[in-house]
Amino acid sequence: MKRKVMIGALVWALLLTVAHIQLNVGWKALSDEAQVRLGQKRRELTVGFLPVT
Amino acid sequence: MTDHSDEGTLFRSRKFTDWPTVKEALISKDIGGVFILAPMAMQLVADGIPIKVVYLGHRDGTAIIVGKDSGINDFKGLAGKTIAIPSRYANQNILMHKSMKEWGMPYDSIDLRELPPPEHPTALQAGTIDGYIVGEPFAAKAEVDGFGKVLYHTKDIWPEFISCVLVVQEDLIEGRRELIQELVDGIAKSGKWLDEDIEHRMDAAEVSAKNYYFQDPELLKYVLSKPVDRVKYTNLAPLKPDFDEIMELAHEIGVLSRRVGFDEYADPSFVRDLEELDWNMDRLPSAESKP
Repeated sequence: MKRKVMIGALVWALLLTVAHIQLNVGWKALSDEAQVRLGQKRRELTVGFLPVT
Repeated sequence: MTDHSDEGTLFRSRKFTDWPTVKEALISKDIGGVFILAPMAMQLVADGIPIKVVYLGHRDGTAIIVGKDSGINDFKGLAGKTIAIPSRYANQNILMHKSMKEWGMPYDSIDLRELPPPEHPTALQAGTIDGYIVGEPFAAKAEVDGFGKVLYHTKDIWPEFISCVLVVQEDLIEGRRELIQELVDGIAKSGKWLDEDIEHRMDAAEVSAKNYYFQDPELLKYVLSKPVDRVKYTNLAPLKPDFDEIMELAHEIGVLSRRVGFDEYADPSFVRDLEELDWNMDRLPSAESKP
């Protein structure tokens, strides 16, 4: 019984994590952040401009 | 010169040629931030787009230009004339209305016509307009080419004039604050560097003319030195009294659909004292190398 509760809790936490990434974070953003933390990629930000001053 | 900040972040710039595309890119989150017209930033917020003004692009750097032989010598002389503005959402439009008010002229006494900035000088030369108000380098273009003259620099009629502001996506402010701080610090440092030595300005003109603006470097050198306070890159904190004045005028003339509170569209929390910031660089390396 205790084992079933543990597994259930883990599956529930996993489902919530996946849902959070899908809805709020985004898989690409997560992948980019992981690569930045692993030193494989630089952090990036694109800033637009119009050539008027 | 490197392609990334001291902290290692890669800041990419994307050139736009018209304001509607900028708006689309912001809505689709194609870009994290953009230098945009101040009243347009306010209207975007009024429309529910989650962005915040975090810094200014520059101060002043706009002029009213008329034909060299037009005989127009003061603002009153613009009555009945056709004057180009970059956009109804530009602070240049607000300035024209502010000046009409100050000179006791009705708001319809000047025919203000929206025209993309690069077309202002050619339209004046072709005689389809009598003058224009725009940000540099298009103001100086007519002067340098000999067919236009400066009627007023903004520094003389609305000191510390605000034109472009840096807006960023609100979710970046919440989720990636350090990134925005890095960006704002970088702009502040380069502005301080530009304003501390005329040679720095000449270097910047070379590099930006060849790599970003694709303009004649001599034109940009002119803009950055004739006179040297024609455009300024310090005092770039978004200040509430400045923005309140713009917002009230913009609302009065119908540019803004509703009044927008400073806290709704601005977040000055990234502004740091310039004394704390230093670019630790004297001159720029050769303008030949693309940054």
